[in-house]
Amino acid sequence: MENQEKNINEEDIKIVRTASTFDCGGRCPLKIHIKEGKIIRVEGDDYEEKDEQLRTCLRCRAFRQYVYHPERLKYPLKRDGPKGLGKFKRISWDDALTEIAEKLKEVKEKYGNSSIFLAMGGGYQGAYHDGMFAMIRLLTQFGGYSTHYGNVSSEGAVYATQTQYISPFVGHSRTDLLNSKLIIMWGWDPARMISGTDTIFNLIKAKEKGIKIICIDPRYSDSAVVLADQWIPIIPGTDTAMMVAIAYVMIKENLHDQEFLDKYTVGFEKFKDYLMGNKDGIPKTPEWAEKITSVSAETITNLAREYARTKPAALMDCQGPARSAVGELYNRCAMTLTAMTGNVGKHGGNAAGGLMGIPYGHMFFASRIPPPYRNPVETGLKSVRGSLDLKLRFQARCHTNKIFDAILKGKKGGYPFDAKFAWFVNNNFLNQLGNTNKSAEALKRLDYMVLADLWLTPTARYADIILPVTSIAEKSDLVRPWPSGPYFLCANQVIDPIGECKSDLRIAEELADKLGLEEFEKYPDEKKALRFLIKLREDTRKNIRNISSFRQDGIYRLKLEEPYVAFKEQIEDIENKPFSTPSGKIEIFSQRIADLNDPENPPIPKYMERWEGRYDPLSEKYPIQLISPHPKNRVHSELYLVQWLKEVEDHVAWINPIDAEARGVKDGDEIFIFNDRGKLTIKAWLTERIIPGVISIFEGSWYDPDENGIDRGGCVNTLTKDAYSPGGASALNSCLVEFKKFKGG
Amino acid sequence: MQFGFYFDQTRCIGCSACVIACKDWHDIPAGPEKWMRILYNEKGKFPNVFVSYLISPCYHCEDPVCISVCPVNAITKREEDGIVLVDSDKCLGNEECDSKCLKACPYDAPQFGPEKGAKMRKCNFCLDRHLEGKLPVCIETCRTRALDSGILKELESKYGTIKNADNFTYSQRTKPAIVFKSKNR
Repeated sequence: MENQEKNINEEDIKIVRTASTFDCGGRCPLKIHIKEGKIIRVEGDDYEEKDEQLRTCLRCRAFRQYVYHPERLKYPLKRDGPKGLGKFKRISWDDALTEIAEKLKEVKEKYGNSSIFLAMGGGYQGAYHDGMFAMIRLLTQFGGYSTHYGNVSSEGAVYATQTQYISPFVGHSRTDLLNSKLIIMWGWDPARMISGTDTIFNLIKAKEKGIKIICIDPRYSDSAVVLADQWIPIIPGTDTAMMVAIAYVMIKENLHDQEFLDKYTVGFEKFKDYLMGNKDGIPKTPEWAEKITSVSAETITNLAREYARTKPAALMDCQGPARSAVGELYNRCAMTLTAMTGNVGKHGGNAAGGLMGIPYGHMFFASRIPPPYRNPVETGLKSVRGSLDLKLRFQARCHTNKIFDAILKGKKGGYPFDAKFAWFVNNNFLNQLGNTNKSAEALKRLDYMVLADLWLTPTARYADIILPVTSIAEKSDLVRPWPSGPYFLCANQVIDPIGECKSDLRIAEELADKLGLEEFEKYPDEKKALRFLIKLREDTRKNIRNISSFRQDGIYRLKLEEPYVAFKEQIEDIENKPFSTPSGKIEIFSQRIADLNDPENPPIPKYMERWEGRYDPLSEKYPIQLISPHPKNRVHSELYLVQWLKEVEDHVAWINPIDAEARGVKDGDEIFIFNDRGKLTIKAWLTERIIPGVISIFEGSWYDPDENGIDRGGCVNTLTKDAYSPGGASALNSCLVEFKKFKGG
Repeated sequence: MQFGFYFDQTRCIGCSACVIACKDWHDIPAGPEKWMRILYNEKGKFPNVFVSYLISPCYHCEDPVCISVCPVNAITKREEDGIVLVDSDKCLGNEECDSKCLKACPYDAPQFGPEKGAKMRKCNFCLDRHLEGKLPVCIETCRTRALDSGILKELESKYGTIKNADNFTYSQRTKPAIVFKSKNR
């Protein structure tokens, strides 16, 4: 009988534990069922405390289709046609690595090491086999390389926390949300982008406990659907105007915690001057903010009162609104509000800052193998330590969102290098950085390009050599979460490598041999790797005493006595445990920024109108703001080809019916979205869940230009700008477009 | 005895992890055959929007109309737990019988692959797991713990007897084995 299928206790089924290593906010234990050497099923965490299970999301539920996808690369490939066309022929590893080694030597001799460019992404989040660290080590020992600075996802938040706290560990344990009395989710959609495996469930528990949740977002997000007691739609790029107006109301009505500000912060008076308009003559009133944000003055005033009077309250900012020209100012304003309400360092409160991590078991402490010495190309430069001067970051590097501009323009364009040879690892940057059409032109100009990946991605189509990389199922590693936890995950090798795939670590080791780098150290094989990795870091060494049970369980859960609260130590004992900032306090005013004398980078957080927002004069030509949030059925552009995931949700543009009707567009119509940077087609989804004047397209769909240069893949970065904010945020959410019904052609 | 589902509609984020876990567990290829589906409903006008998600497996009705319409008696209901099963070998295929079961079912539970004359298959309450004393895979997948299953009477005493939800009308004719915490505007 068809329906009475297999018996799960069949003796020939073996269970192997592994973990997710995608570039997502979750990090999940996976229980893999193996039969005759093949993965037949995937289960999630089976911890006895069901409420504490770290349940994986749909992405890793499709793990089997990802691992066995017919389009996985299986052999090294050599380009066999024009760049970008995607024609390749199979070659042997020996031939591929011999050719790459020769090219590396040739470029080094002819142009010097700075012409070797290493483009690194977050596509693999294990420690040991991370191609980023393997290639840093290899190219350092080869004499050095040029590279880029700035995290595409979170650089605004990084800069903001560096400014006001220094420490990036601004998060609380997710269970601490239950200690709150009010949660304000500002531009944060953990239902889709996960943001910690246990986050959404803790938020639901908080809601069911009666804690009020307010969502501020241009979209009525899936998080808002289940959590929001109140949804406040806002015009993208104007969050800071609303935040400073909230601060204004608090001061006017004397609702702020002056004692906290006096004791723990510096520069509040200067911020207050700005709010009152003492210098610019513009008081930052709710009425002023209403005109900018479209949020009514009454709503702003009520929120200010509610947030100030409800203690403790958690204002949860994230990274999306900072991925814009406004950038770091969004997180800085949010942090300032948490200080004004005295919520920093308290259970149920929070410090904002968008990074959300806690310093236990965090990915930052992963068992990576660093290079034995500094990149020779970057020695002798001025130190960047503690500085907020981005120029220092760019002494030898370009900004990540300027990689392709740097490749195109080189030293003549003011960049510190002329890239001739490029190695792309753990990324699909053509697809995931701003201005894809321009990026494609840049890739055509490279003398030689190597790319290591699992897939023939849009970026890979421009490579001279593609090296096939194993998935996490085909190797062992030690894995950590970043935004929540704490726990450590053991990824045991589940199956033999598919085809001739190798891990990035092994690729680097073999290439080192070809390059004759005898001092390049080799590391243990899969069986011995785990013991080596655990010993490499203090926290794993101290906690994971029984390696065989760690291997068998696939997870070690660190138990904290109480939920972690960022800066609790500082707040309880500021005299003896100051903040790491120069003043030892929370720096609402930053002297380090003031010293830069950059009018675009203000020393106090404020609202600034920058480019490609609602009020940019360019909006007359391109009146629609385009935002690109995280997709739910892939991780950025990873997993894009997995069919089970694809069919969960069509790739569509969210459009308010008001904007659609004005252009004669109906639900389901193919539309044409364009600006001066590019054109794409996509299906329109008419929904009341988005504020008028804004289109939302989930990032990560693969770029697929037709003969007329129209991207038929709906890759949002065909339209976005390759620019960054003064603090280094990739400004992908500051993008103006127009759209119309697509007539074909 | 009748087993059934519990669905807390207020917790569902529509993520579809259950949909994929179901496909993985039962080894169903990508395509139209989905033993578990998520239905979407949106109401209202910006900014007063209401959105709900609804799980849509086979509800293993107490009076399954699919059984009586099947011309070859391919569908049966297990006495011991009420699970409705189909013998796909007996099924004539959707062309020959014109998908009578699908037409009769108020909830579109009978599923067919993309091929011509596809045989009916559908949610079997993860019978293999059920016989081992385990919950269906969708239940253990749900990240927001919006799902539960068990003996219907026990679910009713634990969660209440709400039989309707947003986007779902209880069929008095078939009596689907589910209780809800429903989401209301």
